[in-house]
Amino acid sequence: MFIEYTWLVPLLPMLCFIIIGFLGRKTPEKGGYIAIAGAAGSFLMAVLISYEYLTGDAYPDPVSSSIQWFIIPGNEDYVLNLGYYVDGLTCVMMLFSSAISTLIFIYSIGYMGDQGPRKTRYYAEVSLFLTGMLGLIVSSNFLEMFIFWEVMGLCSYLLIGFWSFRHPEGDDASVNAASAAKKAFLVTRMGDVCLMAGLFILLGEFHSLDYTTLFDPDNIAAVNSDNLTLAMLLVFGGVIGKSAQFPLHDWLPDAMAGPTTVSSLIHAATMVKAGVYLVARGWPLFIQNPDVMLFVGIIGGITAFLAATMALNNMNIKKVLAYSTISQLGYMILGLGAGGYLVALGIQMGGEEGAVLMAAGTAGFFAGCFHMVNHAFFKALLFMCSGSVIHACHTEDMRLMGGLHKHMKITSTAMLLGSLSIAGFPLFSGFWSKDLVLEIAMDAGNDGTVWFTVLWVLAVVTAFMTAFYMFRMWFMTFMGSEGHNAQHCHGESPKSMTVPLMILAVFAVGSGFLALFGLDGILSFDPITYLVGGGHTEGFEYFSELFTNPYTWLTIVLALGGIGIAYVMYGKKSEDVESKTFALAGKFNKNGNAWLYKALTKRWWFPDLYNQISWKLGYGVAKGVNYVDRQVIDGTVNALSSSVVGGGDVLSKVQTGHVQSYSSVVLLGISVLSVLLLIIAMVMGGI
Amino acid sequence: MIPIEFFLLLGGILFIIGAYGALTKSNAILVLMCIELMLNAANINFVAFGAFNGDVMGQAFVVMTISVAAAEVAVGIAILLNAYKVRKTTELDDKQLQTMRW
Amino acid sequence: MEFSILALLLIIPLIGAIATLCCGGERQKAAKYVAGAFSGVTLALALYIMFLCDFGDLDMTISWIETEVLTINFALHVDGLSILMVFLTALLSLLVIVFSAAEKDRPQYFHALVLAMEVGLMGVYLASDYFLFYVMWELTLIPMYFMISWYGGPRRHYAAIKFFIYTHVASLVMLIGIFAMGFEALSMTGTMDFSFAFINTVMPFADESFQILVFALLFFGFMVKMPSVPFHTWLPDAHVEAPTGGSVLLAGVMLKMGSYGIIRVCLEALPEGAEYWQWVIIAIGLLSMVYGAYACIAQSDLKKMVAFSSISHMGMVMLGIGCLSEAGVMFAIFQMFAHGLITGVLFMVAGMAGHNFGTREIPLLGGMAGKVPIYATFMMIGWMASLGLPGLVGFWGEFPLVFAFYDFIQSEGMLWLIVFCLLNLMLTAGYYLWSMQRVLFGVETTKIDMAHVHDVSKTEGIAMAVLVGLIALFGVWPALALDYIGDYTSLLMGVF
Repeated sequence: MFIEYTWLVPLLPMLCFIIIGFLGRKTPEKGGYIAIAGAAGSFLMAVLISYEYLTGDAYPDPVSSSIQWFIIPGNEDYVLNLGYYVDGLTCVMMLFSSAISTLIFIYSIGYMGDQGPRKTRYYAEVSLFLTGMLGLIVSSNFLEMFIFWEVMGLCSYLLIGFWSFRHPEGDDASVNAASAAKKAFLVTRMGDVCLMAGLFILLGEFHSLDYTTLFDPDNIAAVNSDNLTLAMLLVFGGVIGKSAQFPLHDWLPDAMAGPTTVSSLIHAATMVKAGVYLVARGWPLFIQNPDVMLFVGIIGGITAFLAATMALNNMNIKKVLAYSTISQLGYMILGLGAGGYLVALGIQMGGEEGAVLMAAGTAGFFAGCFHMVNHAFFKALLFMCSGSVIHACHTEDMRLMGGLHKHMKITSTAMLLGSLSIAGFPLFSGFWSKDLVLEIAMDAGNDGTVWFTVLWVLAVVTAFMTAFYMFRMWFMTFMGSEGHNAQHCHGESPKSMTVPLMILAVFAVGSGFLALFGLDGILSFDPITYLVGGGHTEGFEYFSELFTNPYTWLTIVLALGGIGIAYVMYGKKSEDVESKTFALAGKFNKNGNAWLYKALTKRWWFPDLYNQISWKLGYGVAKGVNYVDRQVIDGTVNALSSSVVGGGDVLSKVQTGHVQSYSSVVLLGISVLSVLLLIIAMVMGGI
Repeated sequence: MIPIEFFLLLGGILFIIGAYGALTKSNAILVLMCIELMLNAANINFVAFGAFNGDVMGQAFVVMTISVAAAEVAVGIAILLNAYKVRKTTELDDKQLQTMRW
Repeated sequence: MEFSILALLLIIPLIGAIATLCCGGERQKAAKYVAGAFSGVTLALALYIMFLCDFGDLDMTISWIETEVLTINFALHVDGLSILMVFLTALLSLLVIVFSAAEKDRPQYFHALVLAMEVGLMGVYLASDYFLFYVMWELTLIPMYFMISWYGGPRRHYAAIKFFIYTHVASLVMLIGIFAMGFEALSMTGTMDFSFAFINTVMPFADESFQILVFALLFFGFMVKMPSVPFHTWLPDAHVEAPTGGSVLLAGVMLKMGSYGIIRVCLEALPEGAEYWQWVIIAIGLLSMVYGAYACIAQSDLKKMVAFSSISHMGMVMLGIGCLSEAGVMFAIFQMFAHGLITGVLFMVAGMAGHNFGTREIPLLGGMAGKVPIYATFMMIGWMASLGLPGLVGFWGEFPLVFAFYDFIQSEGMLWLIVFCLLNLMLTAGYYLWSMQRVLFGVETTKIDMAHVHDVSKTEGIAMAVLVGLIALFGVWPALALDYIGDYTSLLMGVF
């Protein structure tokens, strides 16, 4: 009875967007409460729908319903529909997106409280943002999903540029919010364009984009596998853009120019999660070719490693978190890729052996999605904590913070819990899912290709770096001597901000145990029917397996080592800002002059690369085209017209206005004519 | 009877003289007079052919031509007089008068 | 001779134009109300025809010139292709009058010119006889010429004459094509009837070589109007100098005359010619698209940028037509319609920069969002709609159209051509976002006098809000327009 109203889930925030847009200015908090009500309403709907679906008869078959939107005519018509699609993945995504968004909106009441009339715009846009994410989740086909995908792109553009008037210096995306917003939109647009091309191929092959048609094993078997491979690579291009994977990852750190709540929304509940969701949603199509999955896994692994390196020496509290997001997204993609690789191998192999591989591979699906859920909670928590700190200190530079623990106990504790979780401290949520991902990568390395072993090594090193940079951040912010801004700190943030923190902290610590209560059953993937959900709960086996695996102990040791090194380097009191910058590390980085240190601060020169490409291929060519247009093409037109005018000018000189010369010509003409007539008459023999 | 060629010759000579004068003279009065000469050359031809063919149409046209020519001369002289009043000259290549072109 | 309601679509604006002209001197203030009333009635009539009439019953034919061999009629006809254009014409004419309500300089002439334009455009889209079509085609030139040369910018005379002569030369070439078809029909059947119904049924049976030649003549005429690279250079000049209202009509409905003509005349009458020239059409479409997009990036005048974006989008229409498939033509027509709606907003926004800020130069502007929030909102919606944001109408002229193109090139084994389409999508996003960033965001500019900057006035806001509403409506439910187009394209594909 609730499932029929699934379309209400994205519609509620949409209505809020419209109401706030038109009437928000007149309501208390400039529309803030309306936005919260919309998000909470969506969450409530999501709970009801999930309960009904998971306990209903249909489970694990998806419940889908759609109406015809329009038809693209062809030899065989291409039908495009509008509808909803509910299965285990949908339920989980809906629940955590709407729940976290609700908390973020509540938090915004405190965080954005001083923004005055601009709050209307803010609440309208975040509501639309949530619409985009929820719409994407409940869509029944790829086209509908793509629409919401792009709506999110627009909202991220608007929200990242929210404070554009504050950062006037130059066109550099790292300082200019408007420029950062543009960069975010364009870079993700690059991925979207690939995705669109992928959808063309899928639509051309399947004559439909409905999930129910596309995920049918018979239909998949019927299409050209080369085209399918190309399509999935292009679709993954969209994921690379949206989920900030290498090499299109560079927009995400710059996107920190937006308000912290927006960063939290983008990183935890919406936007970047959409890419991972797309891989999980499209798994039945991705697993048709092991090479595609290998590519996915490689991109994931490289991203995880590369992003973690850049977080190592960054001084901006939000940017460290941004890099950590990219890195964690890499984990998710790696998990999905490694698992998918095993399943794809299994499908190719067939038989008994294949079944074993497939069973092992499906754990990768769970690992990726599980990490996505856990990451949503702890990343929302971390961002909101950093927002709380920024709210109190009015700076994002960690060198100006320090020793804040005694001023803001709740924030500090919450952030510590979040950091432990993301660092993979045993029994915290991040630990479970991250080590599952590592184990799958290991499996894929053992049973498949050596590539995944390499990626496993990268991922383990990344785990160490994660622990180090997260605690470097925590120690620099909350421990050590007080920096300039920390001395003028306002103290703990208001209730509207700390309460969401406490709620999220509980989840960040405990969400890992959800796997013991059936989450893995809901997020299981059946490699025969390609359906999500309905698997039996193996949570306990997963967990016990982790602790019997020696490699798990290796990662635990590395994580603890990372925390320890961070404490040694940053946990102690230091005298001034200068020494804080290069605390202890000065020996290694030659006071910031080492090649590696420079490369990291320059973000491996990715921004420069982007700039070069966009200026040379965009503006450079455009200048040339404009020159050709004005000078050559329009020049020809003008030359033609001026030659007509000029020619007329020259010829008009013949008209002297001298009647006598005119009449001479007339007389001459008559004489010539008469002579001619005479000659003709003589030739004809008339005379 | 005088052969018709004599009349035609006279007409031709008169016409050529007139045409020469009209095309080369720079004095407007001379040009006007030369135009009259050409008209009269045509009149002679009319009369000659009329008499030769025994047709009175030729003479009728001559009367018509003479009256039109009179009107034309009247208008022409009037223009010239006005030009003379302004410029004190009837020369055709007078700079000021040439500005009336184009 | 029977009379139909279609004739009223021509007569009402014509009477309106004359009535508006009479509002001289003391009555100048009444001009906009008179013009608004007449164009409002026309729009109501167009909507009535669109939703409540059976198109088949509406044909009308009045004998105009009739001899034993030659038949020229005053014939009107409406179908799924033309009704959308008629609606667009009626709508944009009314909105231009509303938008320009504050016109101070001889308002009676301005509004009369708008109505005269409306007559010509209605005539082009309703005509069902080649002579009437040509007469109306030329008739649209005259009011636009005067609109540019009376109400335009500093180089208005240059632009007006360039516009007039360029497009006039092209339409003369088209006229030769029309005559050729008439004489060919005479030699094939013994009668020379210039009605669409006759020519378009006879011509598909003409020789292939004849079709190829005449297709080229007609296509050239229409292509200049669209306009396609390399015959596009009149457009940026005309737009830069034209008054805002003139630009809206010029880009919103006049450019569509070109693509309308290609579909109505070239495809309907000369299918073999179309098949022969297919790759040329596609090449021109791709070239216009990418070239226009690149040129946009380099422009510093807001209006010139929007003008080049029109070239780019009309290139997309050309590409859809070039597929010669039902889907391609269908979404090409939808793109024409979508572009008509969107470009109205674009030119209003770009033109307003001139009136409200005093300059349209992007480098002189900056940080306007804080000072003129309503303007910024409209600009953002217009820009986003034009770059093909899903949920707004532009997306449906883009995604299915490129898909139709994909479908075609895939069957031809030329899949790499899709790269140009994708490049165009990237570039489009690039120039719109970059211009928006430079105009709206950042710190407030000090290069212009901020004291005189004012936000959107009430009438301007109403005109744009109507368009934005329609952009959203058709964006969410494109089938509203696609139903009409589908009826037409399924018939059209009968000739191929």
